[in-house]
Amino acid sequence: MTGRHNIPIRLIFALLLLLSSGLSHRAWSESENMVNKDENLPAAHAVSIMNRGKAEHKMTLDDEGMVMNWNDNQLPIDCEAIEDEHQFTVHAGIKYAEPYPGTVFGMKPHEYHVKPCSRITVTFINDDQIRHQWMVHGLPKYLYDQGMFHLEAAGGATKSGTFIVPSDDKTYLVHCDLAQHMEKGMKAQLVVASGSGNLSSIPGVSGPFESQHFTRWKDRLEILLISMAGSFIAFGLLWRYLD
Amino acid sequence: MKKNLLSAFLVILVVMVLALTPRDWYPRSVRVKLFNWFGAQDYRIPPVTLPLPAMNKENPCPDDVLGWREGQNIAGIYVEESKVCMPDNPEAVAAFVLGTNNVPHFVLMRSKLAPDAVVKGADLDGDGDPDVIHIRLEVMELNGNSPDLNVPITTYDIAPGVQPGFWVFSPKSIGMSTINFESRVAQPMIRMPSPVIRVEQGDQVKVTLENTHYMPHTIHFHGVDHPFVDADGNGNDGVPQTSEVPVLPGESRTYVMSPRQTGTMFYHCHVQPQVHIRMGLNGMFVVEENRPNNWVQTLNVGGGHVRFPSESSREDYDREFDMMYLDVDKQANDLIKKHSDPRLTTKEMNRVFDITDGTADYFLLNGRSFPYTIRESIIYVKPDEKVKLRVLNGGDAGLSLHTHGHKVTITHYDGIEAQSKITRDVVWLSSAQRLDLELNTTNDGLHSYGEGIWIVHDHQETGTTTDGANPGGDVTAIVYEDYQHPNGMPKTQGVPVDKFFSPEFYQRKVPVWLDWDPWNRFGDVAIRHSELIHMGAYGTAIGAFLATLGALLKYLFRRRGEIQ
Repeated sequence: MTGRHNIPIRLIFALLLLLSSGLSHRAWSESENMVNKDENLPAAHAVSIMNRGKAEHKMTLDDEGMVMNWNDNQLPIDCEAIEDEHQFTVHAGIKYAEPYPGTVFGMKPHEYHVKPCSRITVTFINDDQIRHQWMVHGLPKYLYDQGMFHLEAAGGATKSGTFIVPSDDKTYLVHCDLAQHMEKGMKAQLVVASGSGNLSSIPGVSGPFESQHFTRWKDRLEILLISMAGSFIAFGLLWRYLD
Repeated sequence: MKKNLLSAFLVILVVMVLALTPRDWYPRSVRVKLFNWFGAQDYRIPPVTLPLPAMNKENPCPDDVLGWREGQNIAGIYVEESKVCMPDNPEAVAAFVLGTNNVPHFVLMRSKLAPDAVVKGADLDGDGDPDVIHIRLEVMELNGNSPDLNVPITTYDIAPGVQPGFWVFSPKSIGMSTINFESRVAQPMIRMPSPVIRVEQGDQVKVTLENTHYMPHTIHFHGVDHPFVDADGNGNDGVPQTSEVPVLPGESRTYVMSPRQTGTMFYHCHVQPQVHIRMGLNGMFVVEENRPNNWVQTLNVGGGHVRFPSESSREDYDREFDMMYLDVDKQANDLIKKHSDPRLTTKEMNRVFDITDGTADYFLLNGRSFPYTIRESIIYVKPDEKVKLRVLNGGDAGLSLHTHGHKVTITHYDGIEAQSKITRDVVWLSSAQRLDLELNTTNDGLHSYGEGIWIVHDHQETGTTTDGANPGGDVTAIVYEDYQHPNGMPKTQGVPVDKFFSPEFYQRKVPVWLDWDPWNRFGDVAIRHSELIHMGAYGTAIGAFLATLGALLKYLFRRRGEIQ
């Protein structure tokens, strides 16, 4: 009796295995593409890279924080004029993490929609006692050093700055780059026109790229084995009945 | 008919199974009989030795692109030469001496320090140096988890390719935590170990913990003269159960002290200390003697060489090194790589992980293991010098520190001057202990046996390994000038060291004795495929035998049923 059903079950398992290994391989190669290879640079080399092109940096720095690469008048080459004006007030602080379980550092909002060639002014209010950042990445490098617009507000401080986005449909990463702040909630996206798809792990907007599990592997395995045994018996009885 | 066929086939299979059974599985008596009947087995040439596997070797000593090794004048501060391959950033040293509030903008920009990282204020006793010092420390995570990548982020290597999870106190900085957006590598101010804090006796010191990390932390100033409560009655001792509620993420707290006693002390987080201390939240705290015009290097971030020694150190010593030792259990430290959700990480750390089941895997000197210790933390000397070593064991295991070629003199225990000075070649530091050592390089057969490259290491041999691989661990060396290359690296004359600068060596993929034995006798053995083919044939025969046996039994069983 059992021998007959052994084969289909094995086939299903083999297929599942193939599928899962294929998927995990795909996930690996995709995430690999996101990873830069310049690991473990000596400190002096790192500093020389960090300061590359710093002469052209537009930057103010004081006890209240920092504004880098502000731009309120230079148009991206694909824009003929400023098409729209946007004012965003952004809050940073642990209390804004509360709606999203499993995050610690919060910001509000997590998504910004603007028209192409918009001029955007951000007022960044930091309610915490530590510094936070509001950093946009992927802007044209001919206008913004490292393709970045960056506000940094000291604990309790407010910083504002202005920048202009190009015309193409694109979703820009916005985050706080203190170690683990993005990973623990301070991640947002700036969507120009219809954007280029959601980024991963934005609280309230999108899920993580790597799947997360909140139950123990032991518990999941237990349920898996019980249900396998149950269905094996049930289908065995069914086929026997039909025989 | 079928019965006969099955039976015949079964007999053949039994013979095949017996013939294919590996000879070493037979009882010895049978093997002796076989030997007597058939004589010795034929000679089969054993497989060849495999060549050296492909390795991603790093340059052991990258060029000093920014001229950091040289002695230099920065904003009026003379930062001393540092003759190691990868010295500390002299601009950061200058900022820590003058105060980040007193240095030019470009110095801060290039060292990524916040303007209020180290604020130096009034000269209270009028002796020419600032006595009001405010230090701001943040808490950073190295080699942590990302919900979107399956590799560590904000990376920091203790040895080639070795990235244990760490939490570290770091000087308050500005900008990104990595060197740029495209990189996952931590910017150089964010590294192990937590910085050495150096103040002058009697200074009014404030240390603000700005908790930029996602878990609660405190600072306990171990051995540093500090009041139990501050002027407002708030807890100042860092102990959650007796002094204060821990500093939550996003919050900050200022600890105050005005140390009356000098000496080498200790500071560490006191929240869940069985995990948090060895995560990296511990550092050395030095109280220097009060001297006129004594501008001390308030923070020492990096390899340990004090590039701007205090006045009292300059009086008695030619050079000074801070040496922080720490052992790390990857079972605990790598928990931060496992989950992104801090609730899961917290549970694993506080309740699932049990330190009493743990063993240390990594052994660090100033945040690195061999071979990186050799390019950052060598003790470089000339003959007839006196060098001061401040040693702290921040870890859990004891440290049996042995100096080859030298006997060092213990001048201070836990910051207190020794009643009688003991000179020896192994000094023992239990957990949290500090020793001030005087290294005398006079070639007298006692203090020094002469010039050379004399290694310095934990003589508990676990300390010489990195996750079980040797050479690794906290090994460094006392290197005499004549034994140094111009780039600071020691002129070693043993086995080639380039192999140790590859991740593959610490993944234990490379045979340890491969590259210098001309006869290649200790390399890996190539696979003998015939052994595997043999096992495949044996398995096939057993499977066929069992199936045939089953079929025969079934047939017989059915026949009997039919007869009945």
